[in-house]
Formats: sequence, structure tokens, C-alpha cells
Amino acid sequence: MSEINFYYLEKPTLSNLNRIFGSADIPFIRLSKFLSKEEVNFEMKSQRDEKIGFYKRYVRPSHLGDFWESKDFLSFLESGTGLNLKFRSSQGQTYGPGDYSLLHSEEFERKRLVVVYDFTNNWNIEWGGHDIYTSPEKDPLICNRDAGTLMLTLLDEGDYSCTRYVSLKSDSKVVIDKVIFDLK
Amino acid sequence: MRKNNTISAVEQSPFPHVVVEDFLDDDTLDLVIDALAGLEYSFSESDLFSYWASVKLTDIDHPALNVLREDLGDRSWRKEVTQAFQVSKLSRIDMAAYVYGQGDFLLPHDDQVEDRIIAYSLHLTPDLEELDGGSLDLFEGRKDGTSKLVKSIIPKFNSLNMFEVSETSWHQVSEILTDIQRLTLTGWYHV
Repeated sequence: MSEINFYYLEKPTLSNLNRIFGSADIPFIRLSKFLSKEEVNFEMKSQRDEKIGFYKRYVRPSHLGDFWESKDFLSFLESGTGLNLKFRSSQGQTYGPGDYSLLHSEEFERKRLVVVYDFTNNWNIEWGGHDIYTSPEKDPLICNRDAGTLMLTLLDEGDYSCTRYVSLKSDSKVVIDKVIFDLK
Repeated sequence: MRKNNTISAVEQSPFPHVVVEDFLDDDTLDLVIDALAGLEYSFSESDLFSYWASVKLTDIDHPALNVLREDLGDRSWRKEVTQAFQVSKLSRIDMAAYVYGQGDFLLPHDDQVEDRIIAYSLHLTPDLEELDGGSLDLFEGRKDGTSKLVKSIIPKFNSLNMFEVSETSWHQVSEILTDIQRLTLTGWYHV
């Protein structure tokens, strides 16, 4: 099982995270080097996932497996965000050259905490592939790729997220685990 | 003035579309390109697209654009379009100019907004090649949501591409891969 970097489990850190998360325009935290031990299952096969006009990518069960449903992770999330959460789903997603997802894919979503963990290596910002979060009347939030980083974003009904089109010139692929928690 | 006044047979797969080559005569073409070069373009970007767009050209009073509006919208041309696509009477037409530079794109969509019935694009970049990107790609959408790229049209200078807008008219502009500027005048005929 993967392990959370001890720094993120200390009380002062959690208290800071709580404050930062609550003060952002779109509640958000970005935590680099989140795991001290990353136990990845790369053996699961990916399959093409396409709905024209919505998304084009590969999906598979999450790379970190049961970690996202573990008590340790839930406890960290609740302490760091101050939210009362319930795990809904996790999925491994890969976006190669020409792949994308569009914001309106989440048109019928309800309030949720979106957790993205980034496995993407050797990324060039010019290739796109970044995550976008939008909320009406607020500036969009752009999150660039950074391996080992965990991103937590609280989205309301009517807020959307997507992964920006990856350039055909890309030499690498965007690899993420995307995990959704509902609010109790 | 129009050089080509006829529309050849409309191809039906994956959805009705046609390319009219040599649409404008040389003099009009030069004037239109000069007029478009003098416009201001704003960079527009979303999850779906990245390009530079002019203001709407529908109401701009400019000699070359007035001629072009007439060429695209006069009675005889509308009749030609109506007959070629076998659609009901066309009403208003709108237009804007778009420039796609390196890295720009427009992802698959069907163009179904308001009462659009025929989409058109007049291509104004000479010598565009497959390696440059910027092709107009036509998709066949399947019931399970997947799609198949059925046809890539590499825009030919002074060609007018048209297609019927419907729930199956999935198309995209592929990413520009070289240091070129893909200039088009694009818009829709409305029902």
C-alpha cells in the first residue's frame, strides 16, 4: 500500500491546508511529493474510452488501487479539507497525443471533491494536457502536470473539470488517477 | 465576383458535404484577403478550441466584404445551395474570419446551434499541405459514442467547403503543426 508523506500528516500542516483550501476562489490545494511510498500497479490493461464531443482517452482501474479507499487517505482528506466525505469512484486515465476531455462531460454532476494524482513524466507545458476547473463567475483554475503531485478541488453543481487537449507533438502521455468523493 | 457558380454533386458520407473550388475570381480574392489582413483578431481559447477570431463581419461596411457577402448570399447562390443540399429556404447568413496558428485546433463538434443549416468555410491560405495540419476532418459518430475519421479535407486555396449541420455532422480542424497561418472566412446559413 502507498504511504502519505509524513509531512502532510502533521497537525500544523493539516491546519494550514484547511486554511488554504477554504480561502481559495475555487477551493483547491496542490500537494507536491504527496507520497513517500508509491505502490503502482502498472499491470492492469487500459482500454479506449471515447464519446465524440466529450472525451477521448484510455482508462483503467486506478494505478494506486485500494489506496484511494483506505482509512488513512480518507482521514487525511477530511482533516486537510474540513469536509465530511464518502468515497465514490476512482479511475486511472491516460491522455496521449490528440486525446482530450471537455468540460461539459460533467454537466450533470453534483457537489464533489475531485482528487487527481499525477504520474506524468517528462512533460512540456506547450503540449497542453493540463487540468482545467471552472465555476460560474470565477476565474478558471489551471493545473499543470507535475509527477507525484496531488490536487484536491471542491466543485459544486454547475462546476466542471477536464483535461486539456494533448498536442500531436507530445512525446509523452498524461497519466493520472482521478478520484471522486461525495460530501456526506 | 464568383468565378464558380455551380455546386457539383454533394457527397453524402459521413454527412452531406461539398467542396467548391475556385470560388472567387482573382480580383475579388485579392481584395478579400487584403480586407481580412486589415482586421483585428482576438485570441480565443477554451477546452474545445484555440484560434484567433475577427469580429462578426455580417454588418461591416467594407467594399470587398460587401462583394463577398453578395457572392455568398445572393439569390442565385442561395438557390444553388438549397438545391444542392435539398434543404428548405435559407434565411440569414453570418460570417467571421479565423486564423489558426501553430498549435491551434478545433476539437470534434457538430455545429448545432440555433437554426444553423449549412456551414461554410472559404479557405484563403495558399499551398497548405497535409504535414501542416489544419485539415477539416469529418467523422462518422457511432451509437456507442465512438467515432471513425472518415475523411480529411486539406483546405485548398480559394475553395469553399460546405456541409449540412445536423446531429451527425461531427467535424474538427486538426492541430496546426507548422509555422503557418490558416486563414478562413467561416459562417453559417440559417433556416
